[in-house]
Amino acid sequence: MPEKFCGPAGKRWGNEISRFTVPKGLWLSVVLCLGILLTASPALAHRMLVYAFTEGDSVHVESKFVGGGPVQAGEVQVQERSSGKVLVTGTTSDQGKFSFPIPPEVKAGRLDLLIVVSASMGHQGEWLLKAESYLPAQTAAAEAAPAAPESTPAPPSKTETKAAPMDQRMMEEALNKALERQLTPVKEMLTEMSTRRISVSDIVGGLGYIMGIFGLWAYFLSRKPRP
Amino acid sequence: MHISEGVLSPAVLAGGAGLAVLGTAMGLKKMDYEAIPRVAILSAAFFVASLIHVPVGPVGLHLVLNGLMGLLLGWAAVPAILIALFLQALLFQFGGLTVLGANTVIMALPAVVCFYLFRPLLRRPNPASAIGAFACGFTAILLSGLLVAAFLMGTGQAFVKVAQLAVLAHIPVMFIEGVITLFIFLFLKKVRPEMLEGIYA
Repeated sequence: MPEKFCGPAGKRWGNEISRFTVPKGLWLSVVLCLGILLTASPALAHRMLVYAFTEGDSVHVESKFVGGGPVQAGEVQVQERSSGKVLVTGTTSDQGKFSFPIPPEVKAGRLDLLIVVSASMGHQGEWLLKAESYLPAQTAAAEAAPAAPESTPAPPSKTETKAAPMDQRMMEEALNKALERQLTPVKEMLTEMSTRRISVSDIVGGLGYIMGIFGLWAYFLSRKPRP
Repeated sequence: MHISEGVLSPAVLAGGAGLAVLGTAMGLKKMDYEAIPRVAILSAAFFVASLIHVPVGPVGLHLVLNGLMGLLLGWAAVPAILIALFLQALLFQFGGLTVLGANTVIMALPAVVCFYLFRPLLRRPNPASAIGAFACGFTAILLSGLLVAAFLMGTGQAFVKVAQLAVLAHIPVMFIEGVITLFIFLFLKKVRPEMLEGIYA
């Protein structure tokens, strides 16, 4: 009797094995998807990061692909934000950098600068350099300069008063320079942190949206009487 | 392959959007009830494929998989790509909402063209159909590169120069996509031939 059962049982086993070979492909795809999720999240080729800061009288622009290298030979256009007038143009270096002196009319008019860097194949990024962020140092210097003549008549000795504002201005400049040098990496770090990176929840969320959208579509089609 | 926001002029954007709407309508018309899960799966695959970095070549590139989508979906690739691109724009900031139409055309038009171009070859027995599958994945990327150049022509960039750059930069991706399309086609043909019904219909 047991021998008789052996045949069909073995056959059933065979059936089950063949039934389970199809989900093997499913497992493969699940593993593949997980692999993609784990390895690919920081890889981003499309978003360009443009970042500009001032140092003394010049503006330094840096640009790179998020998660990639610098934008080499990218076209830089500096526009005035409100009118869109192009003030300065240029190309980035191999390190993705470009510098230009602040045009005097920009300084006089306290204009906001929109710096647009475009790379090949339709990639583009921009950075808004607001007047407040590059002019405070200048206005402070300008305020200090008119203040100096007013203060000159009051103190009696000439040499000291001439020296004092000069010293002050020089000190301020030196301080600004030192601060800029110290703060540049911090600024860069901040911009790097402020660019949103793709998280796993973005990916999973997107996949969920796709399922939902097509599920909805299937639902509406299923409501229709099918021929 | 994604064109960023603010690069194209409004007229070109409107043209792209119009073409995308037409293609989507065509795709939805051709998409029957049974095809929906297939379209959804490939839409999800396209959505995630853009995160797979191809580190070869001068610029950072990623997989597109539009040849595979054309092979498996035909016209239904257009709504699938549109939805995936929409979510990529929202969640990954690839491309943008205003360029959605243009980007859809760039990636979906080659899918549809390759479907009709290689369908006769794919129907034939194995050596010919395998070559067809590779060529489908390869050509779709090539055409997408040319379409990027065509769209950028409106911005005053010379077509030949941009096309050269886009095509040269994507050569590694073309080969990788060709091989991926080939293997998925052979795998499905063996394991799930009903997934390929679009070719034989």
